[in-house]
Amino acid sequence: MKKEKRFYPDYLSEIIFVILISLEVLMILALLYYPSIGRQIDFTKPFQPRPEWYFLWLYQLVRYFPGKSAFMGTVVIPVGLVLLLLLIPYIDKGRNGRLKAMTVGTILLLMLLVLTLISVLS
Amino acid sequence: MGKIFDWIDSHFGVKEPHKRFLQRTIPPNVNYSYCLGGIAFTYFLMLAFTGLLLSIYYVPSEKEAFKSIIAITNEVTLGWFIRSLHKWSANLFIVFIIFHAIRVFIHKAYKPPRELNWMAGVLGFVVAMASGFTGYLLPWDQKAYWATEVGTSMFGTVPLIGDYLIYAVRGGLDINGTTLIRFYSLHVLYLPISMVIILWAHFHMVKRQGIAKRL
Repeated sequence: MKKEKRFYPDYLSEIIFVILISLEVLMILALLYYPSIGRQIDFTKPFQPRPEWYFLWLYQLVRYFPGKSAFMGTVVIPVGLVLLLLLIPYIDKGRNGRLKAMTVGTILLLMLLVLTLISVLS
Repeated sequence: MGKIFDWIDSHFGVKEPHKRFLQRTIPPNVNYSYCLGGIAFTYFLMLAFTGLLLSIYYVPSEKEAFKSIIAITNEVTLGWFIRSLHKWSANLFIVFIIFHAIRVFIHKAYKPPRELNWMAGVLGFVVAMASGFTGYLLPWDQKAYWATEVGTSMFGTVPLIGDYLIYAVRGGLDINGTTLIRFYSLHVLYLPISMVIILWAHFHMVKRQGIAKRL
């Protein structure tokens, strides 16, 4: 059994250390890879833009629902995913609760990872 | 200095609660993986700070937006760096929210009495994604315009009210200056204010309920 720590100074010094490391990582990335200026808007030349990496899963999902079923990919499934995530504490109830929550959580994470990967590689 | 502080404290009364806050004990089994949420919060503070700086030079208008981005990048002292910090903070913010959520999930820290705090976290994540989406349009360049065109067209797929939704989001049939102002307002007012309220609730509940015990 380890000794109890006090917030000050034991824990605070560790927090400050982590904050400094996080800011350093940020500075290095920001200095090395800075955003360039884009091209001016050309209304006559529509082109297929790629969204930020954290929207790629949605971008890929939408492709599987062409035409009239698009509503499924754009609204029903994404909203359903957020609701599932919100309800995790209630899925983990009773016997096998943790197993159910684990299954839902793993499926959600895998789905996002796989969709993002497909989109990145295509 | 002490006298000035004591005078302020006699009106505010912040000394005692802060003493209690600083001297409280931390459970011995807390390790560095408990920092993930704190790291995300650090990046949120950087987003707020760099965002405030960018807002001094950025002009949210159809004619000026793109020019002001060029000015921020090429003319303003360290403007390119502030913009880069803002962009990277946004990416890292999302990354560490996800890591933090996975950590909380593995430690079962969403279980009662912390279920509302889990939900606050999910809401915060949605607000972060929305901030990313609205911020993407602001540079008002080719990529931003067409990405938002595609993104907002998704609202149009909702049966019956799709057209109204698109109109509400874009402020017109197509993306134009109204959309830019709408997104700017969401990006710098509505979403950050929502985020601050959610984070306040998030931290308040952590303080009340304490750090969850390990499995």
